[in-house]
Amino acid sequence: MSDLVPISITVNGRRYELEVEPRLLLVHLLREKLLLTGTHVGCDTSQCGACTVLLDGRSAKSCTVFAVQADGSEVVTIEGLERDGQLHPVQEGFWEEHGLQCGYCTPGMIVSVVDLLNENPNPTEAEIRAGISGNFCRCTGYQHIVKAAQYAAARMRGVSS
Amino acid sequence: MELAGEHRFRAPRQAVWKALLDPEALREAIPGCEQLERIGEDAYSVTLKVGIAAIKGTYTGTVRIADQQPETSYRMLVTGEGKPGSVEGEAELQLSEDGDGTLVRYRGEVRARGAIARLGSRLLTGAAKLLIGQFFKGMESQLQRRPA
Amino acid sequence: MTTMERPVLPKLIGARVKRREDPRLIRGRATYVDDIKLPGMLHLAFKRSDVAHGRIKRIDTSAAEAMPGVVAVFTGKDLMALPGATRPVGARGTYAAKIGAGLPPMPIGTPFPSPDHYAIAPEVVRYVGEPVAVVAAEDRYVARDAVDAIVVEYEELPAVVDPELAMQGQPTVIHEGFPNNLALPYVPMGTGVDPATGQVDNSAIDRAFAEAEVVISQRMVNHRVAPNAMEPRGVVAHWDAGKEFLTIWSATQNPHILKSMVAAVLGLGEHQVRAIAPEVGGGFGCKINIYGEEYVAAALSRILERPVKWIEDRSEAFMATIHGRDLICYLDIAARRDGRILGVKMKLIADIGAYNMLLTAAIPTLTMLMASGTYDIPAIRCELTEVFTNKTPTDAYRGAGRPEATYFLERGMDMLARELGLDPAEVRRRNFIPKEKFPYTTQTGAVYDSGDYEKALDRVLQLAKWDELIAERDRLRAEGRLVGVGLAFYVEVCGLGPSSSLPTGGWEHASVTVERDGRIRATTGASPHGQGNETTFAQMLADLFGVPIEHITIEHGDTGVVRQGIGTFGSRSQAVGGTALMMAGEKVRKKMAKFAAALMDANEEDLVFENGMIYVKGSPSTGKSFAEVARYAYVPVPLPPGLEPGLSEEAFFEPPNNTYPFGAHICMLEIDRETGEPRLLKFFAVDDCGNVINPLIVEGQVHGGLAQGIGQAMFEEVVYGPDGQLLTGSFMDYALPRATDFPWFELDRTVTPTPVNPLGAKGVGEAGTLGSTPAVVNAAVDALSEFGVKHIDMPLRPEKLWRIIHGRGQA
Repeated sequence: MSDLVPISITVNGRRYELEVEPRLLLVHLLREKLLLTGTHVGCDTSQCGACTVLLDGRSAKSCTVFAVQADGSEVVTIEGLERDGQLHPVQEGFWEEHGLQCGYCTPGMIVSVVDLLNENPNPTEAEIRAGISGNFCRCTGYQHIVKAAQYAAARMRGVSS
Repeated sequence: MELAGEHRFRAPRQAVWKALLDPEALREAIPGCEQLERIGEDAYSVTLKVGIAAIKGTYTGTVRIADQQPETSYRMLVTGEGKPGSVEGEAELQLSEDGDGTLVRYRGEVRARGAIARLGSRLLTGAAKLLIGQFFKGMESQLQRRPA
Repeated sequence: MTTMERPVLPKLIGARVKRREDPRLIRGRATYVDDIKLPGMLHLAFKRSDVAHGRIKRIDTSAAEAMPGVVAVFTGKDLMALPGATRPVGARGTYAAKIGAGLPPMPIGTPFPSPDHYAIAPEVVRYVGEPVAVVAAEDRYVARDAVDAIVVEYEELPAVVDPELAMQGQPTVIHEGFPNNLALPYVPMGTGVDPATGQVDNSAIDRAFAEAEVVISQRMVNHRVAPNAMEPRGVVAHWDAGKEFLTIWSATQNPHILKSMVAAVLGLGEHQVRAIAPEVGGGFGCKINIYGEEYVAAALSRILERPVKWIEDRSEAFMATIHGRDLICYLDIAARRDGRILGVKMKLIADIGAYNMLLTAAIPTLTMLMASGTYDIPAIRCELTEVFTNKTPTDAYRGAGRPEATYFLERGMDMLARELGLDPAEVRRRNFIPKEKFPYTTQTGAVYDSGDYEKALDRVLQLAKWDELIAERDRLRAEGRLVGVGLAFYVEVCGLGPSSSLPTGGWEHASVTVERDGRIRATTGASPHGQGNETTFAQMLADLFGVPIEHITIEHGDTGVVRQGIGTFGSRSQAVGGTALMMAGEKVRKKMAKFAAALMDANEEDLVFENGMIYVKGSPSTGKSFAEVARYAYVPVPLPPGLEPGLSEEAFFEPPNNTYPFGAHICMLEIDRETGEPRLLKFFAVDDCGNVINPLIVEGQVHGGLAQGIGQAMFEEVVYGPDGQLLTGSFMDYALPRATDFPWFELDRTVTPTPVNPLGAKGVGEAGTLGSTPAVVNAAVDALSEFGVKHIDMPLRPEKLWRIIHGRGQA
């Protein structure tokens, strides 16, 4: 086995000092070492987006990032979106608008929508579709996900929907 | 997958023919070639390192040369195996004079199996063209350096 | 006790109730198979064949076995205890004592003859991806490294790829005992076919074609697709050597079937196996199957006495998980010039891949069963041949046989309309089974329960504003744009059983328990994996008992908790599972009413369950709280005569027939004249699934079905090379639809309840995949009508369309 590499990483506000194999993927660090299993693996070619997390504030596919590359970074996963026991508005939107069925793509999809709304607080339908086009969903046909994003956007802008 | 193309060398036909069958020149020109050894009459064992996306890996295999028509044409049979799968190929190379240079035309077929076929087939044509291009460029610069 | 402040509980059946599954899913707190970690758990990885067809000459596992962290490597011969299994590996010294004669060939669920199919190929591999060895290691990275270190030498055999050549035994025969690669040589169905004897009388179908004024003939392919549930398959197996008890977690749609089959294959009793479907990330039919990896995981846990886990990755799934569809149809329609159909012939060739899986052989028979569509067709003849090829086996994929029937017939209806110069809606209307003819028996033997097809057609024409849509198309065409409009109708068979139609049994089971505190725990044998039954089933019980939905839990997917069950497939959960649940609920309610009547000295027939109270009709203030009556049932002092204590009942529901939901889809599609790229502009769907419990969930099901049906029509295709190599082995090459590929879906519904179950519900899971596929292709053919195109085989790849536009023929 390769030599272990020390890294320091902040995940959902908590700092971890770890020693990892250089080939360990960030998604496996999160799932296997930190037991944050909300982030899923849906493919091995970084197409599906089920593994999307926020890496230093921007969405990233954690199956395509080595843990050592995230050294010194701040990661937010689906488990870290709630504030004081309150759902993030995007999570709320997915629930309100039936934006999920089997739930497997959902954590990555939610994180992508969070990133999208951080960049563009008032996206059009086409902009939402483009914003989540790096995430596959096989259940919903995406329409209720678009509505979930619209709901969240309205909430985050302080508009009641 | 079928491959075809051509390259014009700025060197006479005899020199090109010689270079294309010279293990020393081949080892230098084949991209990622780590080892090339003669194992018999017109047969070589090869170790290649390929660094392109889904077909990345180290391949070991053999190259055999057949049907030599001196300074005109020959067939090349290649097999290779690596972690991402295996490849088998057959190509015919034809040389003809082109003014003061030599035109090399090639036409061949490559069969892949394993992950190379599943993941890399879309990239394979492009990758093969890239590698062939690099090969001819390498040959060209050798021919310029050591004219026959 | 005061009752005045009790809130009034809304009736929930028919309401858009938010899903109760969602909080755990949106918070990342759900537990899928890969989230399960057991102490001492080993990881499995499979070495899979790189050749489509070959004989294993040699497998060298020595390098793999020598790697640190590798516990054992098994080949097919080892695991099946076949001659040649000699090398002692790992703990295999005790192997024979534990598994006896080794793993037998895998069972299938259809009664047709089938070649032996081992979980790990012992001698001959027959498709790319077939397992040839398995590694058990301490960590998944090590297991993968070890798989890469296994060297296999094959004697390559010719690959059988084209099913129509395969039928002639070309280039070779894959299975001994199946000459010309025929899995099922010839199965006729329809007019003049005696199902008991197989005798065929051609007079009626021949007469129909002799009398025809117009005949439409077309060869079509409903091509191979990959189901691609977003969660790949996975399994964790734990053999408790002390108790001699196996627990198996699997991403499955039917844990009860898994339990039975794993027990049978491992030589255990069903009382020694518990199967659990934890959170399951979609199935779409591909997780109905019981796969070799499940048997191997169970066997290795038993041999090695350690828990084991196997998780499929996506590129593995493209080879190792069943594919769907892959049916060739030679369609002939005989009709009069007024559009009335006299007869239909479908000659079907199914490319089923290398082996029969659980339901493989049965799926194309559903295509024959549904060949009449929504039309009153006096003569139908279907003929089916199933063919082995060197490809991944096919089996159920969303719709399973019915989308194929719909596609062929609805393409044919459009060709007929075009040939006769009739409006496509009008041709369909002239052939509809009239609503007074239900129940209607088709020429292929399906007994349609109920239907009002004209109503659904009128509704979708209204929804799409048909005349305006056609005018818009013509206006855009006048600008030089290639725009087409497509319509398709469908009827599907859902709510599977009855038991006569399913080898597993076609019933469903449920239990309902009112606990001492008045909270309700119910179980269902349906095993949802995204369908939302925890919500819909709780809605039903909330109304039945008059209690808040928050007081109800629906448990599923665990044979240790759910006593019996069949599972979730064939759009059966609501129609069959929902009915079983209501039956069990009504039994409990009846018993509870007896306790309440005793407590209140009232007549049980007069009692009302509402707003958390049980009271005599008309006098809510004199009632007892639901919880109080529940407590009394468990501490029954005095015990009313003739009653046992407790409130817990179960029910099995055996449906008398299938259900037949239907609907109509319309779309508008544009093709870029320069690039050939198709783009869907509008989509309208009217679906009739009978009575609806939760419209929000029904919409979601329809959306998802549409996406998969459109995906097949436009993007998705499993492609094999001429040497049997799988060329679409990842999402880089297999085009799964993205959010940007779809327009806004406009939906509406008609409601025609079924008489088959007391809920009047028919099922909706698969519906979207039926109408959408032919609607899209019909629109594409319409868009290219100026080029004289009669038919385009799916998927609508830009290159194919570009060739038509630029006069280069069909690709």
